[in-house]
Amino acid sequence: MDETIAEFIKRTILKIPMTEMTTILKAWDFLSENQLQTVNFRQRKESVVQHLVELCEENNASLNDAALLDIICEDVDLFDMKQFKSSFKKVLQRALKNVTVSFRDAEENAVWIRIAWGTQYTKPNQYRPTYVVYYSQTPYAFTSLSTLKSNIPLLGQALTIASKHHEIVKMDLRSRYLDSLKAIVFKQYNQNFETHNSTTPLQERSLGLHVNMDSRIIHENAMEKERVQRVTQETFGDHPQPQLEFAQYKLETKFRNGSILAEREEPLRCLIKFSSPHLLEALKSLAPAGIADAPLSPLLTCIPNKKMNYFKIRDK
Amino acid sequence: MDSYDAPQLTPRQSASSRPENYFIGATPLQKRLESVRKQTPFVLTPPRRKIPQCSQLQEDVDPQKVAFLLHKQWTLYSLTPLYKFSYTHLKEYSRLLSAFIVSEKQKGLAVEVGEDFNIKVIFSPLLGMKGTQKDSEAFLVQILSKSQLPSENREGKVLWTGWFCCIFGDSLLETVSEDFTCLPLFLANGAESNTAIIGTWFQKTFDCYFSPLAINAFNLSWMAAMWTACKMDHYMATTEFLWSVPCSPQSLDISYAIHPEDAKALWDSVHKTPGEVTQEEVDLFMDCLYSHFHRHFKIHLSATRLVRVSTSVASAHTDGRIKILCPKYLIGVLAYLTELAIFQIE
Repeated sequence: MDETIAEFIKRTILKIPMTEMTTILKAWDFLSENQLQTVNFRQRKESVVQHLVELCEENNASLNDAALLDIICEDVDLFDMKQFKSSFKKVLQRALKNVTVSFRDAEENAVWIRIAWGTQYTKPNQYRPTYVVYYSQTPYAFTSLSTLKSNIPLLGQALTIASKHHEIVKMDLRSRYLDSLKAIVFKQYNQNFETHNSTTPLQERSLGLHVNMDSRIIHENAMEKERVQRVTQETFGDHPQPQLEFAQYKLETKFRNGSILAEREEPLRCLIKFSSPHLLEALKSLAPAGIADAPLSPLLTCIPNKKMNYFKIRDK
Repeated sequence: MDSYDAPQLTPRQSASSRPENYFIGATPLQKRLESVRKQTPFVLTPPRRKIPQCSQLQEDVDPQKVAFLLHKQWTLYSLTPLYKFSYTHLKEYSRLLSAFIVSEKQKGLAVEVGEDFNIKVIFSPLLGMKGTQKDSEAFLVQILSKSQLPSENREGKVLWTGWFCCIFGDSLLETVSEDFTCLPLFLANGAESNTAIIGTWFQKTFDCYFSPLAINAFNLSWMAAMWTACKMDHYMATTEFLWSVPCSPQSLDISYAIHPEDAKALWDSVHKTPGEVTQEEVDLFMDCLYSHFHRHFKIHLSATRLVRVSTSVASAHTDGRIKILCPKYLIGVLAYLTELAIFQIE
């Protein structure tokens, strides 16, 4: 066996976690039952690997065989839904004893999880469950948190362990519409914009000028109106906005207006909340309506890009 | 219930006395009335109002009753003067109104499922709830459910409360004859159907007229400024404003809450005239809030509609709803509302 192949096989096997070693080797089906039985898997990993590489030499492993092993390792790395579910359930049951966990597979590698929470001594409350939607191919999960604050860390732990990630971080993004959250998080809302290719000139489209208009009538501020439309479109795009209901800003910034409060060092502590059945569409309409300047503040326009709708703003 | 002694109604003031003497800073309304009466040209001067202070007369008000009136949502109405209303007949009014309510409900005009017809009505005076001695005495009307069990509290549960009062209502008093009692401010708490029935009875019995009292953005700004100006030992609530943005197709609400100490600091920096609030100061105070907001969001709040203001003293909604939180400034808040009510009646 070529030295490079031996090295490659050694490194590939080293990457395999011990818990999966036998599974993978069996799937590879390159070393025989008898050969595998001669290996003491309880040794230190380096020794196990050493022994396995020697066995591969015996069988005269080729580059193809090594490549196959590599593919199998990748395959097993891919998400195992069954394992996720069982692991998730185990974590919760070990901690709480009384908990009802149900799963439903959905489209796009999504799994819906329903959890009814109890405690060590009380039965699970079926009327206030928590729902989680986990997209296995992504590092995102969406939860509806109608549950006691005390259960949240446990939920986070279960998700992290079962999905084999390192940690879970709560995002400052909330909405009543799962599809909107998905659109923002997976950047799906931009697709229309990228493929959109309009041939009508911007002027006609956005100002709705009529062809038969009396030429004696001049639109005051036509230039400014056009600029506002253009800037708004650049910021928001032509596509429908994802549906969010609110955005919240905690401000701690100094007041700056001439002589008023000029000597005051401390900032003003404000909490601003925007709410609307369709917040982004409403914000989009503000500049054209003359209620806001164009371009709108980046604090507002960054919401889909930053995937946040809860902000803390301080003076730099 | 003890019989109630009618207050001595002071004789009508002669036209030569000026209402301005009774407190600093006549309201624009009073000035207008004066000039109309005397047929002098009316000059619009910038209005100013006294910052609410703890009223002397308020010391007399039963603290239990005050506690009952605070922290409740009241819907506001203006009420034209009552014809031939007598404070000595309160018991009789109770009886008549009870009977009226029961008959209306039995007619099925106001149907609420599971309604108990075992109700009674109580008229009770609110001593001390006035601005000057000339103000008519305030009183409460309450609908209580009659308790079934004799062992329970005799009074039963309060289902609905209506509150008639007049705070610094001199200008209205001047314009009516002795047969009329002026209680231009009416506040109601409880089911809308009950308010309607009570209103109907009063209108029929005393030939008066109730009208819902809305509060426009201009007055809401004044309230916000005045209540921020009030001296507080400690703050119970954050100072908050709510704007409604007229954009289509979706509505947008903007809530702007500011720490009450910071609001006070901002006000103090703007405030120049001791003891009083001027139009200029109100405008400047609001402009400061607008500019701070614009700096961050590039949105012109002045182009939107102010819908609600809330402070540790009281909160008010443009639809004519109010909640009073601070007992110290109860009279002050009512004085402003009385002024708005009188303005609407005129």
